[in-house]
Amino acid sequence: MAKFVTIGERIHCISPSIRKAMAERDPEPILKRAKEQLDAGATYLDVNIGPAENDGEDLMKWAVQLIQSNFDNVPLALDTANKKAIEAGISVYNRSKGKPIVNSADAGGRIENIDLAAANDAIVIALCSAEGIAADNDERMMHCQNMLERGMMLGMEPTDLWFDPLFLVVKGMQDKQMEVLEAIKMFSDMGLNSTGGLSNNSNGMPKHIRPIMDSALVAMCMMQGLTSAIVNPCDLRLMETIKSCDVFKNNTLYADSYLEI
Amino acid sequence: MPFNQKPQKFNANINTVEIGYGDKAIKLGGECTFPFYTFDAPLENAPKVGVEISDMGLSEIPGIQKFYEGASTMAEIAKKAEAMEGADFVCLRLEGGDPNGADKSVDELVAVVKEVAEAVTGPLVVEGCKNVEKDSELLPKVAEVLQGKNALVLSAREENYKAVGAAAGLAYNQKVGAESAVDINLAKQLNVVMTQLGVKAQDIVMNVGSAAVGYGFEYVVSTMDRIKGAALSQNDNMLQMPIITTVADESWSVKEAMASEEDMPEWGPLEDRGISMEVQTAAAVLASGSDAVILKHPQSVAAISKMIKELM
Repeated sequence: MAKFVTIGERIHCISPSIRKAMAERDPEPILKRAKEQLDAGATYLDVNIGPAENDGEDLMKWAVQLIQSNFDNVPLALDTANKKAIEAGISVYNRSKGKPIVNSADAGGRIENIDLAAANDAIVIALCSAEGIAADNDERMMHCQNMLERGMMLGMEPTDLWFDPLFLVVKGMQDKQMEVLEAIKMFSDMGLNSTGGLSNNSNGMPKHIRPIMDSALVAMCMMQGLTSAIVNPCDLRLMETIKSCDVFKNNTLYADSYLEI
Repeated sequence: MPFNQKPQKFNANINTVEIGYGDKAIKLGGECTFPFYTFDAPLENAPKVGVEISDMGLSEIPGIQKFYEGASTMAEIAKKAEAMEGADFVCLRLEGGDPNGADKSVDELVAVVKEVAEAVTGPLVVEGCKNVEKDSELLPKVAEVLQGKNALVLSAREENYKAVGAAAGLAYNQKVGAESAVDINLAKQLNVVMTQLGVKAQDIVMNVGSAAVGYGFEYVVSTMDRIKGAALSQNDNMLQMPIITTVADESWSVKEAMASEEDMPEWGPLEDRGISMEVQTAAAVLASGSDAVILKHPQSVAAISKMIKELM
């Protein structure tokens, strides 16, 4: 088995400093966050430029080239609702370290992002929901099947669709947590890859609690077969948990310094 | 249904490590397949065969005595070893440094290294005496005297990697052996700490330990197997160093290769048994993933180099 893939989530236009840097095309704040996340062990970096309705194409191209040229063509997840911006980003993307990830499609209004990924030989994150959160795992798996079939009809490898069960917030949806974990097991049993915004589980919790909850959940998810997650790699406890679980799963060979590599 | 061959392709390679200089330099590693899986992809570099000589002089085995006939100095012995049929490099073993044995001084041993290095033109591997304290003192001096030769210094171990790694790998630009004793986790750990020390991953060759066939050899096989598997299928760059195995000392020191014919008449001539142990061990470690083996009997060197040629 391959090592767990961490997608660093910290280049996100919701952060004021990143939003400003994107608007002004100021490289420094973005490069700083990229470096922090890579030093902490991220495999992919997510680049969220928001809706970017006006200058999305130009902005995504700039961001992709900026980050890849400074960090040895690090693989990226292109994250925006603007499809043209994703295509523009892919047009300048260097694949030597991994395919680009389209973030994201769903089984509803954003299903065409699967077509976009297929046409551009990209990976796509496929969110198992349509209009609103899936009511149960029957619905989740129906969305999964629909998106899988669509991708395969378009010639995609099944492993290039990374299914997202949609992680739910504990404060409010505590009774649904085991269902999400069961969905991951179902993806895994089908030989499919999976990912998701895992830290959503701890939304609204005190800052010191979140790494504990996130680490516990990632361990349970990896046991169920989760192959990737979109996380904050600067969360040391979380990264240590992921590396330790990779050892238990025999995804990587143990050495005493395993946390340092 | 016709058979469709599907090559097993990995997006990873074993590092290529060059030893020696000029036309005679050799390359270890570089492969992207399991050992001798030439049906998956051509082998980048054939595994290499080294000839072991010792500062303690020649072995009393008649075939070895005969091969080196007329050679009395270390320089003459080294020249003959280098010219042996099938030899790719010479390995000088400084076993006389062992404090529990001849306990030769560092200066005395360094003089031998110098003499041999001046006599040979091909790649040179120098192995210490295996005593951790003595090697920490000896191997940095060896690395120093070999400046410009791009030699491989065996070996840095868990207890002395700082002294040996810093001298050989950093100060004097040699290649460094990282030695562990059939312990896969330690093999990886040594590579991690050596690179953290600043030694380039591309300058490290692993010696993951060996045993003569029949002496816990299945552990050796599984260690090498697992290392190559992680290096290629998991793209683990802390295990992508080529592997060198010192076969001669292991295979000539077991009872099958030491008990005299007088004591064991039913076993037949001692020399034949030793060669057989050496050839079998070498063939098995090559098939398990070694990128180089070190042997000492001319017949073993000829047999193994022929085997490699025919499997390429």
